[in-house]
Amino acid sequence: MTSALAVLASLPVSDSPWPAPALLDGLLRLPGSPATPAVLATLAAGMLILLERRTQPAYVSLAPLLLIAVLAGLVFSASQSGLALAPLTIAFVVAILARDETHPFHAECGIKMLWLMGSAVALSWAGLALMTLATGTSVIGEQWGVLAMGLVPRIAWSTALSLSLLVGVVMLGAAPFHSWVADVLQGARPWVAPAALAALQVVGATWLIDRLANIEFFPAAAQVAGVLLGAAAAAAFAIGAATLITQRRPERRTGTLASLQGALVLAVLAATRGRADTMELGPFLTQWGSHLLLALTGAATLSHFMPGSAPPGAPGVSLFRRHPWSGVAGLFALFSLAGVPGTPGAALWLQVAGILLGAGQPVLLLLLALAWFAGFFTVMQQLRDAFGAKHPAPPTGDVPWQARTALWMSGGGLALIAAAALAAARR
Amino acid sequence: VSGERRVKLPAWPRLDARVAGALLCTAGVLAFAGPSLLSGAIGLELIATAFWCWARASEDPARQVARWNWLRRPAGALWLAVAIHAVAPALTHAAGTGPPSFDLWRAIDAAAVAWAGLELVAALPLARPFSDLPGPLVVSRPWLPVLIPSAGFVVLWQYSAHWTGTPEVRAVTAFLLLVTAVLAGLRAFARRGWIVILRWLVVSDCALAGLLVAVGAVPRPVSLLLWVGACGSHAFLLAAELRGSMPRRGMVLSVLWRLTGWISVAALSWPMLLALGSLQAPLRYLAFGAAAVPVLLVSWITVGRLIEAEERRAVVRRDTGVTLSHLMPLLLLGGGPALITGALWTILAPRPLAALLSLIPALLGGGLGILALSRPGEAATAEVPRRSRPARALARAAFRSVVASERRLVAALRRAGFGLTAPLRDLHSGDAQEYLLLLVGVGVLAIVLPLLR
Repeated sequence: MTSALAVLASLPVSDSPWPAPALLDGLLRLPGSPATPAVLATLAAGMLILLERRTQPAYVSLAPLLLIAVLAGLVFSASQSGLALAPLTIAFVVAILARDETHPFHAECGIKMLWLMGSAVALSWAGLALMTLATGTSVIGEQWGVLAMGLVPRIAWSTALSLSLLVGVVMLGAAPFHSWVADVLQGARPWVAPAALAALQVVGATWLIDRLANIEFFPAAAQVAGVLLGAAAAAAFAIGAATLITQRRPERRTGTLASLQGALVLAVLAATRGRADTMELGPFLTQWGSHLLLALTGAATLSHFMPGSAPPGAPGVSLFRRHPWSGVAGLFALFSLAGVPGTPGAALWLQVAGILLGAGQPVLLLLLALAWFAGFFTVMQQLRDAFGAKHPAPPTGDVPWQARTALWMSGGGLALIAAAALAAARR
Repeated sequence: VSGERRVKLPAWPRLDARVAGALLCTAGVLAFAGPSLLSGAIGLELIATAFWCWARASEDPARQVARWNWLRRPAGALWLAVAIHAVAPALTHAAGTGPPSFDLWRAIDAAAVAWAGLELVAALPLARPFSDLPGPLVVSRPWLPVLIPSAGFVVLWQYSAHWTGTPEVRAVTAFLLLVTAVLAGLRAFARRGWIVILRWLVVSDCALAGLLVAVGAVPRPVSLLLWVGACGSHAFLLAAELRGSMPRRGMVLSVLWRLTGWISVAALSWPMLLALGSLQAPLRYLAFGAAAVPVLLVSWITVGRLIEAEERRAVVRRDTGVTLSHLMPLLLLGGGPALITGALWTILAPRPLAALLSLIPALLGGGLGILALSRPGEAATAEVPRRSRPARALARAAFRSVVASERRLVAALRRAGFGLTAPLRDLHSGDAQEYLLLLVGVGVLAIVLPLLR
């Protein structure tokens, strides 16, 4: 519902007195709109909900779709959200995960998330409180001005700043806090996991952006933030790359790829806010969040049909033997998440690399290249494992049409986004 | 169930693996014609995919898929170079141009392109002995691996501007190609089967041609033509060997092909040896000597191992006149190397003694090859003469010991890498208590880290 409203709101206003050309113009621009991924992800989640064993009428079973719509709406409109949204989002996701008492993995994910993120929120709130105490104001813009006067000891504001950033890093799922991402993808229901992950990551990014707003007024704090975020991004890229190469379970691999998406945001923040840059991050965040939601939807759905650790020469999985083109649609989403050239995700990776190059961050750029290479290599191997070797025996197991539709929605949506970006670039 | 009608939906189009692989491979080879790195990366990716297509459809996919999986590595290296240029479009290949930060990326770009080419030419210790093994597609199994070193040379030649501008990468690449040429020559000398020998000769040709590009002795089109002459003659011999050994049928064809191979190798090696001998470096004599070894071996094998095929037919087939086996030597000899060698004389203007010395390895190899041929009166046989067995055993032992040492080194490095990154991977255990400990630890680090500055 939220997403549908968002689509309508995002349609461009035309000067034409006739409604038909305006509508046509809007439809043509729809693939490029940031709301499109939110709508498609919600619809894909609806398809996956239909897979659940139904004990109630269909309209009641589809009720959880409202929760997904809220999460997708959060991703779509996160650039306007404030610091208060982070704990609310965490609570919302934990509540969704804890809702189903019959599914132990679901509840376990909820407990782990509460355990980790609850502590992170507590630490970050302590940091916020300390900063307020030190500066005498809770308005972030004013805090930097007060600190620039030099009245507050460095240990006080640097400690407060470091702690206040922590929950943002944790919510982004950047390594070493990447375990929860993989846990959610492995343990939570397929219809809830991608939206919950994307919402948490986007809100984590907005937490960091909000916390660092106007930091350019106090360069010393910008420098500290740059060091912290740079170290976090470097660790995230290095650990993510090392983890990807050795991981076996496809769900967890997708989780690590999602955590690398969090690392991308950290790298951008380290390169811009760490140098007191006033670069507007709203458009980047919108683009990143929409892509993340749609790519995660496809990749997470696909991961449930992928082989674990297939030996060379093992036959392919049912999805790729029965419905290879649906598998390819899902692979497009996975490839986009990993930044394989030609996908919309690759444009994001290149954009971040360009920002790092411009900011003179060679170490971070090297680590980004390493992580990208590891991701690219891993997903290409996954493609080969999924198709497997030719086998005369018919494949066992069926792939429900709902899952295939979800794969087509995410893969097709990403292809549309890529086409729209290409058309826009040509214009 | 009676009365139930099953509607059969039209199936998606599915290509036969052989056809799909052939199409991909052809498209990959054609993509190399494009001068951009992107087309090269796509080309390598398509070739790697073609090998995978054939391998997964072979009768022993477990072995074939694992055997040819490494082909994705060179493609990945080229993709990295593509990404570097996409991020920094202003990056040029001349050292010292652009901002200082570009030097690092220029070096990485050069290393990535050189890596792609070197690994395909079997110049890296990761997949060196692939030419010992037949390819994954049954119909052209013994011939297919020839495609790989050829693709490697094309990468090194087509994108030479990327790696020859960085002196360190250029020096390392030249050294690795030199080692590869020697090892491939030794391996070709050690093997018995003519088909395997030809595969290794192609590797040696490609490595020598790559070395020619690295030393930059001749213009790029000339180096390509010289490579086409040397590698083309061996590749044609191999292709023809699988279709009735036509180039070895009869004395005329045998002599013609010995001459073709010999002259082509001499034409390829001569400017390269000349350039190595005139380097202003302390190790130039060593480099010259090392490069002379594969030239000698390749010439020797090309002349001495091409044995006239025995006629087994009771009724000899009527002569069909001029065949492709007659025309190809004329094309390879008349069109390229002979003219180029003459032209080079004027371009390089070498001293007569240096020019003669640079020809000696090829001449000596060819002469030894002629000596190794069956004497008049002896029956021509495909068996290697008994007198060359100790030399072959020595060559085999040298190759195996080098490859075994390389494998041990690579395995040790891999183990060390896994050991060093083990703590990073262990962070992914997923234990809830560990999460909290880690969070507290990172929280403390976040407080301490700013204070340290």
